[in-house]
Amino acid sequence: MKAAVLRELNKPLEIEEVSISKPGPREVLVRPIAAGVCHSDLHFLDGSYPYPLPTILGHESAGIVEEVGSSVTYVKKGDHVITCLSAFCGHCDKCLTGRLSLCQSPEVSRAPEDEPRMKKGDETIHQFLNLSSFAELMLIHEHALVKIKEEMPMDRAALIGCSTTTGVGAVFHTAKVEPGSKVAVIGCGGVGLAAINGAAIAGAGMVIAVDMMDSKLDIAKSLGATHTINASQGNAVGEIIELTKGGCDYTFEAIGLKSTTEQAWQMLGAGGTATVIGMIPVGTMVELHGVDFLSEKKIQGSNMGSNRFRVDMPRFVDFYLEGRLHLDQMISQHIKLEEVNNALNALKTGEEARHIIMFEE
Amino acid sequence: MSTTEIPSEVTGRVWKIVLDPGAKVDEGDPILILESMKMEIPVEAPCKGIVTEICVAEGDAIVEDQIIAILEN
Ligand SMILES: [Zn+2]
Ligand SMILES: [Zn+2]
Repeated sequence: MKAAVLRELNKPLEIEEVSISKPGPREVLVRPIAAGVCHSDLHFLDGSYPYPLPTILGHESAGIVEEVGSSVTYVKKGDHVITCLSAFCGHCDKCLTGRLSLCQSPEVSRAPEDEPRMKKGDETIHQFLNLSSFAELMLIHEHALVKIKEEMPMDRAALIGCSTTTGVGAVFHTAKVEPGSKVAVIGCGGVGLAAINGAAIAGAGMVIAVDMMDSKLDIAKSLGATHTINASQGNAVGEIIELTKGGCDYTFEAIGLKSTTEQAWQMLGAGGTATVIGMIPVGTMVELHGVDFLSEKKIQGSNMGSNRFRVDMPRFVDFYLEGRLHLDQMISQHIKLEEVNNALNALKTGEEARHIIMFEE
Repeated sequence: MSTTEIPSEVTGRVWKIVLDPGAKVDEGDPILILESMKMEIPVEAPCKGIVTEICVAEGDAIVEDQIIAILEN
């Protein structure tokens, strides 16, 4: 199969012929139809999150089941599915207490001594987050996908595979935003915009979008932001404290920086909760004023929107089909696999919404 | 000769030990691979040298800042 391989940090991905193994008993071979190019892919391309190389990036996709392993009963050839990196084992303490996205069981990937899922000749190609979607085929654990309605367009479905679930999930599950509350979201990339849309669906009273680019703030408004702040034009924290008359009930950091994480904390009113969604580079420390704990502020992380994706993703599909989840304006361009490097470069400048790779059906 | 202790930057689990004691390394060579929150995270040699000790075994749980390997250079 054809795949975009990352061999060296900060270098363009190379389109190569890679071989893929046969499904083991609990594995499924998926033919992706659409794959989003997500900002988190960049963190691995630039090494701020180290990953073993060579690897095939991509972790946001939707496709069609091609072949299933001998023990798989949940899906069959031809089913439409969304893939998810939150593969769950189903029997560890995290899974059994309903926190599936925190499952760390190694059994959803192949063991180091097993034949790798992908190879080029004798060389192991490391699977990225148990998915690797910048490729014509994906071999994944049966617990890394969810069936969806066939009427759902594949490019929109792909977004649900990461950015939607991460942003909306952070609002619904991690922070549990209350109707009527005051919410601020810092960063209006795919995940931040999803959080804004999620806050609107959850019934937040005030949804304040913060970004440096007016074009993104315009999209934020169309997704339900009630107020926007361009942070390049002054002190966003001060403006929010004034606008909310004392601070937010919930803030969301959707960039992954020390400075914006600290701002998310500073924007809270007494008793408020800051949720950090962005991926802060490994080794970076975050500083908070200790006295703030007297006002019962809280700060927490959110990974993949604390999802239970087999429940959540079909709901998000329905939200889209009902017109409540706005995915159309999140997509700026459809591209071919060969154009993936342009899409990654466009993400670096931050100007455009998402590029979606479309594979030939 | 000096000794360099290599700490883990994350909390996680040892997935695979790539090099054994005695192996020569260049800066950036992966010594072992950790697994944390679905991510495989390689631990690389910070400098040229010889691996004198791998302080963990495959499958071990490790915490941030724990010394996982020692190099001599
Ligand atoms: Zn993503
Ligand atoms: Zn589990």
